[in-house]
Amino acid sequence: MKKRIVSLLLAASMVATLGACGNSSNASKSSSSSSAKASSNASKADPVQNLIKNTKGSVDLTLWVSETSQYQKVMKEIVNNFKNKYKNVKLNITIGSESEANTKDDLLKDPEAGADVFAFADDQINDLVKKGVLQEVSTTYTYDPKSVDTDTAVTASTLNNKLYAYPMTASNGYFLYYNKDVVPDADAGSLDKILADCEKANKTFGMELSNAWYLYSFFKGAGLKATLKDDGTTECDWNSKTSNPTGAKVAEAITKAAKSKAFKNLGNDDQMSAVKDGKMAACVNGTWSSDAVQKAWGDKMGAAKLPTYTVDGKQVQMGSFSGCKLIGVNAYSKQTGWAMLLAEYITNPENQMKIFKATGEAPATKEGQASSDVKSSKALNAIIAQSKFSAPQRVGANFWNSANSLGQSLAEGKYSDAQKLLDDAVKGITAAVK
Amino acid sequence: MEEDKVSLAGYFKDFGRAVKNGNIWTRLSLIIMGLGHLANGQYIKGCIVTAVEVLFAWVIALIGGTYWPKLSTLGTVQRKESFDPVTMTKKVNNFDNSLLILLFSIVGIVICFFFALYYIYNLKQIYKVQQAKEAGGHVNTFREDCREMVNGKFYVTLLGLPTMGVVLINVIPIVFMTCIGFTNYDIDHQPPTYLFTWVGLKNFQTLFTSSVSDSFGYVFIRILIWTIIWAVVATFSTFFGGIFLAKFINDKRTKLPAMWRTFFVITIAIPQFVTLLLVGKMFGNNGIVNGICSQIGLTDFLENIGLVSKGLGYIPFLSKPGWAHVMIILINIWVGVPYQMLSATGLLMNIPTDQLEAAKIDGASERQIFWKITMPYIMFVMGPSLVTSIIANINNFNVIYLLTTDYTTTNMRFATSHGKEVDLLITWLFNLTNNYSNFKMASVIGIITFVICVALTLLSFSRLVRGDREEEFQ
Amino acid sequence: MAKNDLSKITSAENPVVVKAPFSKRVVRPVLRHLWLAFLSFIWLIPIVWLFVTSLSGYPGINTNHFFPQTWSLANYKKLLFQPDTVVNFPAWFKNSMIIGIFTCLISSLFVMMTAYAFSCMRFKGRKQLMSFSVTLGMFPGVLSMIAIYFVMKMIGLTNSIVGLIVIYSAGSGLGFLILKGFFDTISVSLRESAKLDGASELTIFLKIVLPLSKPMIVYTIISSFLNPWMDFVMAQLMIRSKNPKNWTVAMGLYNLVQKTLVGKYFSVFCAGGVMVAIPISILFVLMQKFYVQGITAGGVKG
Repeated sequence: MKKRIVSLLLAASMVATLGACGNSSNASKSSSSSSAKASSNASKADPVQNLIKNTKGSVDLTLWVSETSQYQKVMKEIVNNFKNKYKNVKLNITIGSESEANTKDDLLKDPEAGADVFAFADDQINDLVKKGVLQEVSTTYTYDPKSVDTDTAVTASTLNNKLYAYPMTASNGYFLYYNKDVVPDADAGSLDKILADCEKANKTFGMELSNAWYLYSFFKGAGLKATLKDDGTTECDWNSKTSNPTGAKVAEAITKAAKSKAFKNLGNDDQMSAVKDGKMAACVNGTWSSDAVQKAWGDKMGAAKLPTYTVDGKQVQMGSFSGCKLIGVNAYSKQTGWAMLLAEYITNPENQMKIFKATGEAPATKEGQASSDVKSSKALNAIIAQSKFSAPQRVGANFWNSANSLGQSLAEGKYSDAQKLLDDAVKGITAAVK
Repeated sequence: MEEDKVSLAGYFKDFGRAVKNGNIWTRLSLIIMGLGHLANGQYIKGCIVTAVEVLFAWVIALIGGTYWPKLSTLGTVQRKESFDPVTMTKKVNNFDNSLLILLFSIVGIVICFFFALYYIYNLKQIYKVQQAKEAGGHVNTFREDCREMVNGKFYVTLLGLPTMGVVLINVIPIVFMTCIGFTNYDIDHQPPTYLFTWVGLKNFQTLFTSSVSDSFGYVFIRILIWTIIWAVVATFSTFFGGIFLAKFINDKRTKLPAMWRTFFVITIAIPQFVTLLLVGKMFGNNGIVNGICSQIGLTDFLENIGLVSKGLGYIPFLSKPGWAHVMIILINIWVGVPYQMLSATGLLMNIPTDQLEAAKIDGASERQIFWKITMPYIMFVMGPSLVTSIIANINNFNVIYLLTTDYTTTNMRFATSHGKEVDLLITWLFNLTNNYSNFKMASVIGIITFVICVALTLLSFSRLVRGDREEEFQ
Repeated sequence: MAKNDLSKITSAENPVVVKAPFSKRVVRPVLRHLWLAFLSFIWLIPIVWLFVTSLSGYPGINTNHFFPQTWSLANYKKLLFQPDTVVNFPAWFKNSMIIGIFTCLISSLFVMMTAYAFSCMRFKGRKQLMSFSVTLGMFPGVLSMIAIYFVMKMIGLTNSIVGLIVIYSAGSGLGFLILKGFFDTISVSLRESAKLDGASELTIFLKIVLPLSKPMIVYTIISSFLNPWMDFVMAQLMIRSKNPKNWTVAMGLYNLVQKTLVGKYFSVFCAGGVMVAIPISILFVLMQKFYVQGITAGGVKG
């Protein structure tokens, strides 16, 4: 009788488990066989009609979008419209709150348990595709993102010449906020002048140098690159001795700017706190802070593309990472067809405008960006102006830590040999994933 | 109540004797486990035992058939999918999932292990009953067997469920993660899309090599040293801090001891992640404390005497090695002392009074009493728990993780290994798994942490599990 | 009490010192209480900051001022009565409460069962099993998290409160050491005589050993009840749902201090911290006596 109960229970639980596992493999088999059947008797007619015809029972979909109430509200509306559009099918769509910044981490832990359709920031596309989690957008059914959306947005959703996601918004990058009381419009184009103005007024300028996302702007501006190679590592020439200007000169220029009394290497929260208290008169930040800045500075708030900075006596325009929010379809979704239709529906031009009106984030469509509503927003204008100098975020996993560390060193300015510092950083950035 | 000495040889010898001397039914039980019971007239038991065997055979056929053959390669068929744009449906091949192969194989092995134990036990039981029957003794009925479960074999009933829980939540995951250390499960080999496979000791080699772009070895040693310093200092500082505070509050000259105690206990009631995040914000580069320090000129003063590098403009409480190390330990004192104070308070109240009185009569001063009687008593009682706390501190995740969220290292070697100077082994491996999916290296680090903890315990802690003093107390 | 006895002896032995010098009589006690006040001040600053920030009218982190510039109760209102897309405190509280109650019931039971088996019974392999359990407890828990996730997925318990209860309580059998130490101190003769009267081990366990161990059991119950309120790492991994109503308190609150949310929800987070502290404080006050006794009792036998 001794271990009987133990073994019994253990065995029983195992059986249950195996049963569950067996089911799932059966399910995948049956779905593939049914699809084979479907394709054989499908006419060349409308695929969407085929899908509706072949859908039996209810369709369960999960959608992850940003947790802010504006997003959740507008998505609820869009999803309801979607359900109305396909009244004959029983669609159960659950909307979850998930910050776009975390989508990748959450999905990669267990793609099978992730949402069918999800919003994510375009820098994650590389990892998501590499891990086989993103469904390729090989065909579109209701509209064509490539013709409707801006080139920047389409590039951001493309990898290896294949479209992998549907652009939703195009304002996830950073630009310059300034307080017109301290920094006149005429000075906002030059970092030197901004810093001088701030110093004079005993105010500060905020930019998070120890975050590689922002640090990139200096190097990109100087024509140095950090891009993704096919093998998943990063190609980076920030330590170049032959470029003009050289990497070391850029590094020294950054340190020189950071040495200014006004320059503060602060993260988002600290910047906003300082802005609120009136200590900070300019900062490099994104649209997510626009409400807070607007509230603190009111009419005096200015927004512009990033300024130029001085390298080796010359003025160089700062670059940036462009940022788009995209909608992707999970390759592990059990309802690929419906998931794709939903993703398309959310990102069609009409709904992009709806999302813009609800959340204040710029649409990714050409038409939308040219509309008067978008033009009237200072922040969105700034980001559209900056987009000329921006590049999509295509870097490997080892870029961030090493580049963050470089940024911290440059901000502190405690190094003797800029070239060596850069060499070390580039070694780390370009290292293969261990 | 004497315990039988357990020896592996004896264990199997008993089994061999049962096989050798058993009658035909006993031997047949080797194949159908219930037969012996049936022959001895224990019908219900016989049926249940046979049912267990059938169940086991079925489970193992499933696991063994599906997963064990693939264990040596951890799967060979990679996932492939194709999307049919006309029907909008997708075909996926029947792919292997290395993770499930490994997991189910381990589960199968664990089941086999337990079944083997039960199998051997069962046969010995049958043999025993056979002997009893032959000698004309009493054969237990099913009802008697059941009653035995709450009496002589009560420990089986008691330990059954907890053991199952531990096997499920501790043993299987631990075996699984240990195996991962010998595979290449990382960001490029992540199931279900990709397969991973065995790589032998390669990851251990990676850990002990070092160059700028490949600095696991360097970072490992540095983090290991800090982990040990942290564990020792954090344990002793809170331990003595708690005792002194308890002594101070419980002193007869202190008015309103309950009130003072409550002040400190309040800090326990708020979840650690809340208070630690708050304290982290307070000591941030731009936090309140820094604001005050620069207003009163402390920042400039520290810059002048060289404790803070010139031109930094703030005190890097939690953002520079050195400063951060000290601050973390100080903040940990803040976190840990109230707990220790609570337990020390209880202890101080329970000190045997006769000793104290004797000392008083001998004219010992209060200080002498504290050091000669109170402290040795506390050390006697709490000593063993010190080792447990050191182990707990080696694995103390919250304090370090929550206080150093904004820490950026300037040491490139740390950066390339995704570590920080202030990381403990445990936070480092959390970061590796959570943000970089580097399970293989995390597993290797985990294995080594585990080995260190076990070694520490064996060195100083064996008395805790040693049974010697049990009877002495009873 | 020992202390009182001591003081009597002191005064009896030194009848001469009727009036101590001024420094001893006034300065020292004042210094002593000043020192205590200073320590309390340090310990309470963050708590006070938590409390005042929870009453702040500004939603983000105020890194430059200790006290908020505008005061408001809006954060509590939001927390309790206005669930939105990231905050649903009543649901979190309910979930944590359910998890807490079941976890503490199951794990206390498991701990008591293992402790009794290891302390009061003798069987083959007992010491080996104990050493093995202690060793298991040393494996870094953070590492096995992902494996636990897949084990739970295998049983189909991810994304559910039941799964979390299983995770928090299933391994609790390993935490038997303290209680076993306490059981060891219960005299053997008590059990022996019960046995002579024909009591089974079950009866001895339920009727003799457990009633004697009240303080220790309270200690075990409190510590296992607290676990689900404090843990955010495991909960985040296990609960895949993105609907706030399925989260626990720790998970939901921790979510509020993410980079994207902290600017709008920091003061709500603080209010949440205060709200969590209330039930735990009540528990502590009610059980403080037992708690102190419990820890000590466990320590008596190392």
